[in-house]
Amino acid sequence: MRIVCPFCGERELGEFTYLGDAKPLRPAAGGSEDEVFDYVYLRDNIAGETSEHWYHGGGCRAWLKIARNTLTHEISSVEPAAGVGQAAK
Amino acid sequence: MAEFSWASRSPLEDVLVVGAYGARDVEPGISLTEVRNFDLIQMMARRGKWAEMASTAKDRFGVAAPDVPKAVSASDVTLIWSGPDQFLVLSKGGKHAMDILSQAFSQSASLSDQSHARALISVSGTKARAMLAKLSSLDLHPASFPIGAAAATSIDHTSVNLWRGNDRPDGQAVFNLLVFATFAESLWHTMLDAAAEYGVDIRLSEELG
Repeated sequence: MRIVCPFCGERELGEFTYLGDAKPLRPAAGGSEDEVFDYVYLRDNIAGETSEHWYHGGGCRAWLKIARNTLTHEISSVEPAAGVGQAAK
Repeated sequence: MAEFSWASRSPLEDVLVVGAYGARDVEPGISLTEVRNFDLIQMMARRGKWAEMASTAKDRFGVAAPDVPKAVSASDVTLIWSGPDQFLVLSKGGKHAMDILSQAFSQSASLSDQSHARALISVSGTKARAMLAKLSSLDLHPASFPIGAAAATSIDHTSVNLWRGNDRPDGQAVFNLLVFATFAESLWHTMLDAAAEYGVDIRLSEELG
């Protein structure tokens, strides 16, 4: 598998690290226990198009947000993940 | 209180042996040169300050700061792209050292002195690309990696900054490689292994190419 880093160009998988689902948003400060539990633990196991965070640690060290199909491994978009981890507005 | 004397030394000091290595009775296909005693500053724009940092860099160095994977050179400095909104400043002689740059860029960038935290290795020769092809997954053919091309990549699981300098007088391509000091010895051995079959000419230099 190869990933086209928006900064470096096409690179081999070995330069990247998978973080996980890019969907969960950190609950706002003072969020309920259920919201925090959901954010920390609950994940969907999607067969198809997913949104994921990857880290280009073997290259430019940018965090990326990648749309990938878990059935085909086809990557349909790669974009910088600047600002991820911000609390939900 | 204990007195310390911090003498800087190359991370390759114990392993680099100047002279011939590998295949004998052939014209060496690889030239490996370690460049010692340089000033290297990592520059990272503060959030939203890239334009201001680039403008200061243009005034200071006389060349536009690289915002894509390229290395740009002026007479006394090379700016090497190292990631989004960041680049390395490679120079000699203290003119662009930390104490000076940190004042010039105090409003726009965060700086980190890497002068003794990296080893600089220059690879050239008729077999340079064949040797690097064993170690790197990048296409280093002149068509896709021309003079001035740069990459932040991994070689043998070790992060490196790789860029193509000006050709040697004999027309051979020159690939420059910055590697973390603590990984330099490991990478050096890996490169020697990859290069041995072509015959290696190992050198030391105090001059930036």
